[in-house]
Amino acid sequence: MFDLIVRNVTSRKVRSTLTICGIALGIFAVIVMGAMSENFHQTFERSMGVTSDKIRVFAESGVFGGGLTDDRVSDVLRVAGVKDAYGLLMTTFDEDKMGMTGKQILGVPPEKSSVALSPVELKAGRFLSPGDSYHVVVGSNIKREYGLGVGSKFEIHDKYFNVVGVLDYTGSIFDNAVIIPLETAQDLYNVGDSISYIFAVPDERLDAELLSKRIELSVKGTTTLSPGELRTQAQQSFMIFSVITISSGLLAAIIGGLCVMNTMLMSVAERTREFGILKAIGAETKDILLLTLGEACCMGLLGGVLGVLVGIGAVGLMNTWLEKTRIVLFLITPRLLIIAMGFALFIGALSGLYPAYRASKMSPMEALKHA
Amino acid sequence: MPDIIGGEAGPEKEIILKVENLSRTYMQGKVPVHALRSACLEVRKGELLAIMGPSGSGKSTLLALLGTLEKASGGKALLDGVELTEVPEKLQPRIRREKIGFVFQHYNLIPTLSALENVELALRFSGVSKKERKERAKALLEELGLGDRLTHKPTELSGGEQQRVSIARALANRPALILADEPTGEVDTKTRDSIVRVFKSLSEKGQTIIVVTHDPDVAKECSRVLRIVDGRISDRKDF
Repeated sequence: MFDLIVRNVTSRKVRSTLTICGIALGIFAVIVMGAMSENFHQTFERSMGVTSDKIRVFAESGVFGGGLTDDRVSDVLRVAGVKDAYGLLMTTFDEDKMGMTGKQILGVPPEKSSVALSPVELKAGRFLSPGDSYHVVVGSNIKREYGLGVGSKFEIHDKYFNVVGVLDYTGSIFDNAVIIPLETAQDLYNVGDSISYIFAVPDERLDAELLSKRIELSVKGTTTLSPGELRTQAQQSFMIFSVITISSGLLAAIIGGLCVMNTMLMSVAERTREFGILKAIGAETKDILLLTLGEACCMGLLGGVLGVLVGIGAVGLMNTWLEKTRIVLFLITPRLLIIAMGFALFIGALSGLYPAYRASKMSPMEALKHA
Repeated sequence: MPDIIGGEAGPEKEIILKVENLSRTYMQGKVPVHALRSACLEVRKGELLAIMGPSGSGKSTLLALLGTLEKASGGKALLDGVELTEVPEKLQPRIRREKIGFVFQHYNLIPTLSALENVELALRFSGVSKKERKERAKALLEELGLGDRLTHKPTELSGGEQQRVSIARALANRPALILADEPTGEVDTKTRDSIVRVFKSLSEKGQTIIVVTHDPDVAKECSRVLRIVDGRISDRKDF
């Protein structure tokens, strides 16, 4: 039966090609939008993995509202169940680009730099250590973009820093991080003893969510974000982003599906007599269903393969082009490929159902009378 | 000249088809139209039976009922031990595969398939293996003088050749009965004669064939002729 299905698809070349292109366009959109979502998802998951054990303590006025200073760290440390706490200053590296490149300056107390970045490992050199001032540890993307290595000089805000360490690739926000001592960062950006937030490390025996509430109650003027809350917040943002990206892809694929349905309906109408002949020579309802549905699935599959291939090519090209700007936007994953191919087949099958039903239900005599 | 004219089968061979009071009535709006009225006939194995009659007389309806392509309004039709009018709709394709072969006026070949594939198609639905399908289809086409046209598409064949492919397809499942609806209606006289020769040869080998025709020259070559007028089978000898 498969040879007949392929024969029917290939014998109507122009129509089949146009239909396959329709599906391919939809699947292409699914791949591109999906790749964007997958990249976002991976960065999110990896970032969560790196920082998920810490409670973030902010000023009630928020990260950018000021109001949180070094002295609040000791207040947080005094809360029962807090194993460790330290302040961090976070600001954009390239202010002229409005932070669009995702590069960030992270001011951390030098003695805490290894724990603050844990479990991120070094690829070369060392973490910051007490006594460091104009020393810097850079993320893997920063190292690549500026051609840095341990011992290189790196200019930040018109000052030269010695690169002492390079972080391993994580696929998270830390790949774009420039880590300098907290005091140096405060001086560099002239913010006094202000910090962006405090990382509070809970005692292993304590529930982080509970401790988070305790900190909020104990340290006045602060608000906290527990690992669980952070994950929920991030997941919500991710969900919205995913829904927007995936649904635009799906919409395109559904239009492709309507293309298949239209083609199959036309094909069934044109081949009414053929179905009559098949029934007269003994084809059963299931044979006609299989034949018609098979054609629709075949076009869905071919459209899917074409869409995936073009999508992979386009995503590759865009990633290569974007590499110059250090923005990675797309990520093709096996999961995405399986979803895209599955969806192409599903759309093909779904679109072929009604035409196949119509073809299978034809009266053989009526079909044979058809001109 | 035909041996017998009328609704009764000739002597000697076993009766393979027995039709009793077969009728078909359908509604045209609120008006009942009697396409076939209480048709009775018997056909013996190996007979080449011609059915003649004016357009709309019920010839094709009779073939459609015998071929289980339409449902009878009444009566019985027993073909090779199978009561055709009582076969459930689900089993009708099996009857069409195993007991009946169709030959149509317009050949009705699948245009995208070659001559060989068109014949194979009938065997495909019967679950015959690919190898056997090919062998049987090839043998049939060679027997009908189309050994050098196996890979040709219908559009690359003449009308006579297409009709011979159609006959080969009808024979593929070794049916008890071949129903041919105006098989020579689209061809010239030379091709018509060759098709009739094929039918006669098959009949001599024991194949039962019912041919619906308008052409007296075709009917003359058949072993028996029936005439249908206004849905009734008559025994008139003129044609």
